[in-house]
Amino acid sequence: MVQVPRSNPRRRPRRGRYPARYSAAALLRRGKAPWPPIWRSTELRDTYDIVVVGGGVHGLATAYYLASNWGITNVAVLDKGYLGGGGSGRNTAIVRSNYLTPDGVAFYDRSVRLYERLAVDLNLNVMFSRRGHLTLAHSDGALRTMRWRAEVNKHQGVDSEVIGPAEIKRLVPALDVSEAPRHPILGALHHPPGGIIRHDAVVWGYARAAAALGVEMHQNTEVLDIDVAGGSGPDGKGPGGQVTGVRTSRGEVSAPVVVNCTAGWASLIAAMAGLRLPISTHPLQAAVTEPVKMFLPAVVVSGSLHVYVSQTDRGELVFGAAVDPLATYDTGGSLAFAEELAGHVLQLMPGLGRMRLLRQWSGLCDMTPDYSPIIGATDVAGFFCDVGWGTYGFKAAPVAGEQLAACIASGETPDLIEPFALNRFAEGRLVGEKGAAAVGH
Amino acid sequence: MSPLGSGPGSGPGQAPGSGSGTCLRRNDDRVVPMSPSRLPARPGEVIDRERPLTFTWNGGAVTGFAGDTIASALAASGCTVFSRSMKYHRPRGILTADFWDPNTLVQVGDEPNVRGGHRLLEAGMAVSAQNAWPSLRWDAKALTALGGRALSAGFYYKTFMRPRWLWPAYEKVLARFAPGGVIDPASAPRRHDKRYAHPDVVVAGGGPAGLAAAVAAAREGAGVLLVEHEHSLGGHLRWGTKSERSMAAALAGAAEAAGVEILTDATVAGRWEDNWLAVVERDGAGGPERLIKARAKVLVVAAGLIERPYVFAGNDRPGVMLSGGARRLLNLWSVRPGSRAVVWSANAAGDAAAADLEAAGVVVEHVDARTGRTVTAAEGRRGALERVVLSDGTRLEVDLLVTAAGWTAPTSLLNMAGVRPRYDPAAARFFPAEPGTAEAGTVLSTGGISGDGSLDELVGHGEATGRLAAARAATLAHRLRVATAWAAPVDGPEPPEVPDERTPLGRDPHPELYRSSTDGIVDLSEDVGSRDLRHAAAEGFDSVELVKRWTTATMGSAQGKLETVNTVAVLAEATGSTISEVGTTTWRPPFAPVTLGALAGRMFEPLRISSLHDLHVAAGMTPIQAGQWIRPEHYGDPAAEVCNVRANVGIIDVSPLGKLDIRGPDATDLLSLLYVNKWRRLAIGAVRYGVMCAEDGVILDDGVTGRLGEEHYLMSTTSSGSGAMEVWIQNWLQTEHPDWRVRVTPVTDAYTSINVAGPRSRVLLGRLVDDVDLGPEAFKYMQVRRGTVAGVAGCVMWRIGFTGELSYELHVPAGYGPHVWQALLAAGADLGVAPFGLEAQRIMRLEKGHFIVGQDTDALTKAPTAGLEWLIKLDKEDFCGRPELQWALEGEPGDAPDAVPRLVAVQPTDPSYVPPEVCQIVAATPDGKERIIGRITSSRFSPTLERSICLAQVEAVHAGPDTELTIVDITGRRHTATVMLHHAHFDPEGERLRA
Repeated sequence: MVQVPRSNPRRRPRRGRYPARYSAAALLRRGKAPWPPIWRSTELRDTYDIVVVGGGVHGLATAYYLASNWGITNVAVLDKGYLGGGGSGRNTAIVRSNYLTPDGVAFYDRSVRLYERLAVDLNLNVMFSRRGHLTLAHSDGALRTMRWRAEVNKHQGVDSEVIGPAEIKRLVPALDVSEAPRHPILGALHHPPGGIIRHDAVVWGYARAAAALGVEMHQNTEVLDIDVAGGSGPDGKGPGGQVTGVRTSRGEVSAPVVVNCTAGWASLIAAMAGLRLPISTHPLQAAVTEPVKMFLPAVVVSGSLHVYVSQTDRGELVFGAAVDPLATYDTGGSLAFAEELAGHVLQLMPGLGRMRLLRQWSGLCDMTPDYSPIIGATDVAGFFCDVGWGTYGFKAAPVAGEQLAACIASGETPDLIEPFALNRFAEGRLVGEKGAAAVGH
Repeated sequence: MSPLGSGPGSGPGQAPGSGSGTCLRRNDDRVVPMSPSRLPARPGEVIDRERPLTFTWNGGAVTGFAGDTIASALAASGCTVFSRSMKYHRPRGILTADFWDPNTLVQVGDEPNVRGGHRLLEAGMAVSAQNAWPSLRWDAKALTALGGRALSAGFYYKTFMRPRWLWPAYEKVLARFAPGGVIDPASAPRRHDKRYAHPDVVVAGGGPAGLAAAVAAAREGAGVLLVEHEHSLGGHLRWGTKSERSMAAALAGAAEAAGVEILTDATVAGRWEDNWLAVVERDGAGGPERLIKARAKVLVVAAGLIERPYVFAGNDRPGVMLSGGARRLLNLWSVRPGSRAVVWSANAAGDAAAADLEAAGVVVEHVDARTGRTVTAAEGRRGALERVVLSDGTRLEVDLLVTAAGWTAPTSLLNMAGVRPRYDPAAARFFPAEPGTAEAGTVLSTGGISGDGSLDELVGHGEATGRLAAARAATLAHRLRVATAWAAPVDGPEPPEVPDERTPLGRDPHPELYRSSTDGIVDLSEDVGSRDLRHAAAEGFDSVELVKRWTTATMGSAQGKLETVNTVAVLAEATGSTISEVGTTTWRPPFAPVTLGALAGRMFEPLRISSLHDLHVAAGMTPIQAGQWIRPEHYGDPAAEVCNVRANVGIIDVSPLGKLDIRGPDATDLLSLLYVNKWRRLAIGAVRYGVMCAEDGVILDDGVTGRLGEEHYLMSTTSSGSGAMEVWIQNWLQTEHPDWRVRVTPVTDAYTSINVAGPRSRVLLGRLVDDVDLGPEAFKYMQVRRGTVAGVAGCVMWRIGFTGELSYELHVPAGYGPHVWQALLAAGADLGVAPFGLEAQRIMRLEKGHFIVGQDTDALTKAPTAGLEWLIKLDKEDFCGRPELQWALEGEPGDAPDAVPRLVAVQPTDPSYVPPEVCQIVAATPDGKERIIGRITSSRFSPTLERSICLAQVEAVHAGPDTELTIVDITGRRHTATVMLHHAHFDPEGERLRA
C-alpha cells in the first residue's frame, strides 16, 4: 500500500515561506549583508513519505510540485554529489517545443509555458531568454523533416515554420547561407518560442522553493540499495513488490515511495528495485568558447552537421553535439569531438575561426530505444521513474516534475505522460522522437 | 622607518583628472605616454632595440621593440590601465605579464581576447582595449554606484523577475556587460593544417627540469618532442640571474644538439587515453595556429608553477603585481614597473624581485611575509596605486606593490590522466597525489609541479625523469613491434622493466597565504570577490562546485589557474573546513584555449561524383546534392524523361547505390541474420529483394542482393544508407560473429552502375552483349548474369525494375563507365534512348508504389507498416529485429493500438492538385476538433497517368481501400483524397517489368 497523503490539487500552488524573498528592493535594502541560506541544511531522518533519488532538476522539480501542488512535504531529495551536478549542470540549456509527434509537442509545449513563468513561480530569476530556435536543413530530406515538424507543430498551436536562406540570414547574419559550403543551408525550421535558460538557476530555484515548503535536500548521500518486499525477483524485489525504503551511504531510510530521477545512472538505480530498464547510457559532449560581444541572436541547430550553438548572456558560445556512439559512464570526452565540432561550426559560420575553445565536458544521457522518456509508475509499487530523457531532459524538467507529482499524489497517470509509461516497450507503443531528437536541441 | 615615508604628497600619486600614468582618458581612448618607463639596455633583455615596431593602441600610435609583448610595449610607453573589469568596470593593469594575465586581454584587429601579456608585438597591429569604455557609460556608472551595495555575485538571480514583460529589456542591458572582444563573423577564414606525430616522449614544459628531461631522454635514443608555452626555453631562468640565464642557454643548446624537436609558443592542450595528446602550435612563422595530434609513448609533465595572487582590499588595482610579473617586465623587457615599491614576499622569488627592482633604481620597501606581516589594502585613485597599508598599520606611499604569496601547480594534464591533486599545507600548494603511477608509468612529472629544490636538484630530477621516460618508451615500442610482428620481424627481447628510482624532490615550507584580513578580488576575470564567496557559502552553496556555478569564480580566461586555490581557501575559511576537505574543481581540457580554426583544420569530407559526371555536365544536367554525391536531378524535362522510359528506353546513372561484395563460406548466414526474409535457397544467378530492420523492428534499409557464386554475393543498399549499412554490418560481424568466415568489401566506387529501363531495353542491351542470352526465358526477372558489355568484361547485370519497366542494372568496372554509357547512347539512337535523372526515377517509382527508406518510412516505421508482412519469415533462424517483428505480426489484436500507421497509396480527388510532401492528414474527433492521423510521405504529378499520385502513412483504421481522407494544405486549406487498393498506381500486376 502506498501511504502517501493525497489531496486534490489546489487551485493556486502553495507558495513557500522563504527566509528572504528576492527582489531588487531587497537587494538594495540588504546591501552588503549576506543572505540567509537558499535551502535549509537538516539531518537525514530515518523515515519520509517520499524519497526522491537524484538532486538534479527532475528530482527537485518533482519534489517542488509534490509540495506546492499537492501539499506533500515530508519528502527527501538525495544526491550522491552536489545538487545539479549531473546532466542539470552539463546540458546546453536549450528550451523548445518543436517536436515531431503530437505527444511530444503537447508535452514540451507545457514545459516551455512553465519555464516562461518559472522565475516568478520560484522567486528566482532563471534568466529564460526567448530568442528563437533555428534548425537548419542541408538536404532535401532534412528540409522535408522540417516541414513535417512545422505541420505537426502548427496543428498543435505551436509557433514553428520553415523559412528560406534569406530569412535565415536576416535572423542570424553570422550564418553562411551561400552555396559555398560543402552542405549549403537550404532552409530552416524557425521556432520563435525557443530559447536558452540559466540551467543552474533552475536547479537552485526549485531547490530553494521546495525547501521553503519543507522538502529536505541531502547532498553527498548516495543510494546504495533499495528495499522492496514481496516482489517476484530475487530478495523479494522486482515486479509485484512494494518499496519500503532505501539504504544510503549515510544510513537507512524507510519510505513507501521512491522516485528514480537519476538520468545516466537510472538503470543502475532501477536494478536496485529489481527492474530492468531499456536504457543505455551514452556520454554527450559539450564545449564553451571564450566570451565575445553578442552576435548570435538565436539558437542554431544543424542536425546533419551534428551541432547546436547558442550565445549566452555572458557572451560565450555554448556548443553541443550528438551523443557519443558507444555506451559508457566515462565522461572524459575526446579530442575528436572538439575537432569535429569546430569543423562543423566553421561550416556554418566561417568567420569564427579565431574564436577559442575554453573548456569541454561531458554529461551522461539515458537513452531509450524510441528516444522518449520513461515516466510514471512501475510494476514495483511505490517505485516511480522519471528517466530515459536522453538528450533533452532539461527541457522537460518542469512538466515532468509537475506531471509525475500528480501521478504519485493522485495515483492516476495524467494524460500528458500516459504515452511514456514503461510498459509501452512490452506493448509495442513506442513514441517516435528520433526525428526531432537526432541532434534536436 | 620606511624609506618611502608616509606623509601625503610624498608619493608619486597623480592629480585627479590629469590622466597621468593611464592610457585611458575620459574623452578619447588614445594613449598618452606620460612617463615612459623603458630602462636603458640591460643584460638578458629579449627586445631588439635596433628594430622598433609601431602599432596603435585605441587608435593612437605607440612604438615598441621586436621581442616586446603587446603588454610590455604598452607598459614601456607608460600605460598602466589595460582593461576594465567585467562587472564593476574597475580599471585593471598588468598582474602577471604572461599568458595567464587576466587584465591584459585585448582586441587585435579582428581577433578578440588576445593575451596581451603573451602575444608578441608586430608592426602595424591595431590593438584596442576590450570592455574599456562601455558604450553604455552611464549604465556602468549607475551599476558601479550600486555595486558596493547590491552587485554581489549572483545578484541577477535575485531580481528582474517582475514584471515579466520587462525582463527582455533587462536582459539586453545585462548582455552589454558580457566581457570579451568583438568577433567579426564576416572575417576571412584562414587555412589551418594539422599534423600527426608519434614521438616516444613528449615533454610539456621547457623550464630547467623539462629541458633536462628532454635532453636525457633524447640521449637515451628516444624521439622527443618538447613543448614550451612561452616564446623561448628556460622557464623561470629566463628572468633570473646571469648564471641562471646561462644555464637556460646551455640546456637549450643541449636539447638542440641532442636532436629534441622543440616547439615554442605551443602548448599541450589536452591528454586522453594512451597519451593521445593535442599539441597546439600558436600563430607564427609556420602559419596560422596548428593542431598536432601526437600519440606519445610517455608524457612528461613539467609545467612548472603559476604564481598565486593574494587577496586583500584593492588587490586588483593597477600597480599591484605578482613578483613574476614585475621581474618579467624588468628583466625581459627592461620596463620599470614603478618608481617606489613595496615588495611583500613569502619566498625566494619575491626576495629576488625586491633585489631586481632595487638594482633597477626603484625605491623598495621589502616586507617579509614570513614574519607574519601582511598587506591589508592597496589604496589610490583613478586607477593608480598611491598607498599600501600593512597589517601593522604602516602606510607606505608607493606606485607599485609586488606580492609573492606562493604557487599553484598546474596539474591539469596529470588530472586528465587520472592523477588527483592533493593539498600539502606545509608547502601551501597542491601536488599530484601519486606522481609517476598514472597509466602504468607512462605519465611522469618533474620540476616545480612535483616539488622544490636547488637548480641542480631540479635538473637532476629532470634528467632522471627523462631517462625513465626513454626506458619506458623503449619497452612500449618493443611491445608495439611484437603486436605487429606480422608486418616486420622483431629483433631482440623486451627491454627489462625499469623501476622508478628517482630521488623525489623535496618540498620547501611555505606559509599559507591566501587572503588577508580584508576582502579583495579572488577572480579578476570574473570580478568575484572573497566576500562574494563567503556570502555564497552562507547562502548554502557549500561545495566548491556550487560556489563556482553561483559566483562564476574560476570560469574566466585562465580557467582557474590563478583563482582556484584562493577560491578553495576562502571557501574553506568560510565553511570552517580545510583546503583538503574542500578540494578543487575538475580541470578540463584544453589547458590553454585553442582556436576553432586550428581544431577544425581542413574539412576531410569528399564530394563524390560518379565516373560519368563530366558526361552529365556535357548533357546539360541540373545537379542535385544527394548526401555526399552530386547527381543529375534531370536533363531539362523530367516528365519527358519519364515518358521516354515508358515508351522507349532510358539510361540512368545509379552509381551511388551502395554495393558490397560478400564472400566466404558463412556469407549466407550473414544475409540471413541481416535480412528479414530467407536466403538459404537463393539459386546462383538469382537476385532477391530484401529489407533490413534494426533491433526495434524499424526499417533500416532495403535493396537487392544477387548470388554470383556458391560463396559469393553482391549486395546493394540504398544510396543514402550505404555508409551506415557497411558500419552496421561490420558491427554485427566484428562484435557478434567474429568467428564467421566471411569478408564484406565495399565496392560502391569500384563499379559504375547504369540502369537501362524501358520496353526497348532488351533490344538495346542485345546490341552490346554477346556472351549472355538476354531472352525472356533465359534471363528472367530477378536474375543476375555476369558478362561483357560493349567489350567490357566483368560486368554484373541484374534484371530488376525500380521504375516498373523491363530493365537491366549494369555494374561496370568504374574505369569503363563512360565508355559503356556512351556505347549505350550510340547503339540506341534509333531506339530513342536518352538519359534520365533522379527526378524521373522518383516519379516512376512512385507510380509503381515503391517506397523510399527514410522518406516514406521514418525512424518509427516497422516493416509491417510498409506492407512487408509477406517478406518477414518467422519460420527461419534468428535475425535482426525478429522479436519486435514477431510481436508486431503475431501479437494479440487487442495489444495493437489502432494508431499504428500503414503505408498506402493515395490519390487526391482533384487530379491536378499535388499535395506537398509532409502535408498532414486529419480526422474529426468526437469533440468537434481535428486529430492528425497521418501524413503524405511522397507526392508527384504522374505524366503517365496524368494525375497527382501519393504515398501516405495513415493510422490502420483509415488505411482501407476507398477510405476518404482529409489533407491539410500548408496554407491550411482542406483537400479530399482516396486510399487506393494497391501501392502501385501504375501496372499493379507488374506485367511490364516481367516482359
